[in-house]
Amino acid sequence: MHEMGIASSVLEAVGKEMERYPGRRVVKVGLRIGEFAGVDTESLKFCFEVISKSSELAPIELDLTWCRVEDGLSGEELDLAYLELEDEELPT
Amino acid sequence: MTQVPVNTSVLNENQRIAGRLRDEFAASGTLCLNFISSPGSGKTALLEKTLEFLPREVRAAVLTGDLQTDNDARRLARYGYPVRQITTVGACHLDARMVEKHLEGWRLADIDLLLIENVGNLVCPTSYELGEEAKIVVLSVTEGEDKPLKYPGIFRKAQLMILNKIDLLPYVPFEAELARENARRIHPEIEIIETSCTSGAGLDTWMDWLQRRMAHKAPRAAAAGVETYF
Repeated sequence: MHEMGIASSVLEAVGKEMERYPGRRVVKVGLRIGEFAGVDTESLKFCFEVISKSSELAPIELDLTWCRVEDGLSGEELDLAYLELEDEELPT
Repeated sequence: MTQVPVNTSVLNENQRIAGRLRDEFAASGTLCLNFISSPGSGKTALLEKTLEFLPREVRAAVLTGDLQTDNDARRLARYGYPVRQITTVGACHLDARMVEKHLEGWRLADIDLLLIENVGNLVCPTSYELGEEAKIVVLSVTEGEDKPLKYPGIFRKAQLMILNKIDLLPYVPFEAELARENARRIHPEIEIIETSCTSGAGLDTWMDWLQRRMAHKAPRAAAAGVETYF
């Protein structure tokens, strides 16, 4: 139900993180979602697709990793794990 | 392509504000509690009874969240404590920013107990810290005993489960023992209090719990000359 808000927070967090890489473009964001985080991953993917299209970060891909307690994880994860950046063009 | 690690919470901004609120509550000696449940489990009735039975020397305040209307704030305002409605206009949970904004103009040093009634929803409010000292989940006997298993997130995070409407137990096929077992399967240390806001059963136990938590608050920072205004 709150996946639109989560998707919007993801974009906000990515935008903030990208301030550290001026001039670079982000192509993919990796998220870790815990089984008890209360997030429906299908709904989050849909919401992210919709709102990222109209953001200045578009096009950007979402990569979700599901975190379970039985794998030794907390299950509460709702974390930005990594960003994949387009390589800088080398001067020719 | 280059992959760079980030490892921050998606809700970093909310957590930052919640952390700030938590510090402010600690400095002012305010006990902040976040009530979460499905719609209709009796959160507002429980808060009404709480305000009714609260010793008059306790300076309480209430923030109550709903998608629309100020019905709950009007119900709660009858008890003479400051009450503000947070109307989320569609959002299914309260976040720390909304709480901070609605505290504006209140002096925290004058609030011993801040009760926050979240939007009726067992899923979304779980993810958003509000600076509270404890989450309290309210489950009523007109719901299923398996709610803790279906919505484990909130039962893991809540310190206390209030099993409400127990006056209806003779009329509904609800096994209270099974509900308690299910809650403890998800969270073995969860405290459980059974109440009825209609008959008054269990409300003394709830008020004792509340008074104990208030007694454990740190000495008031105001005495050390620290005052917080919003």
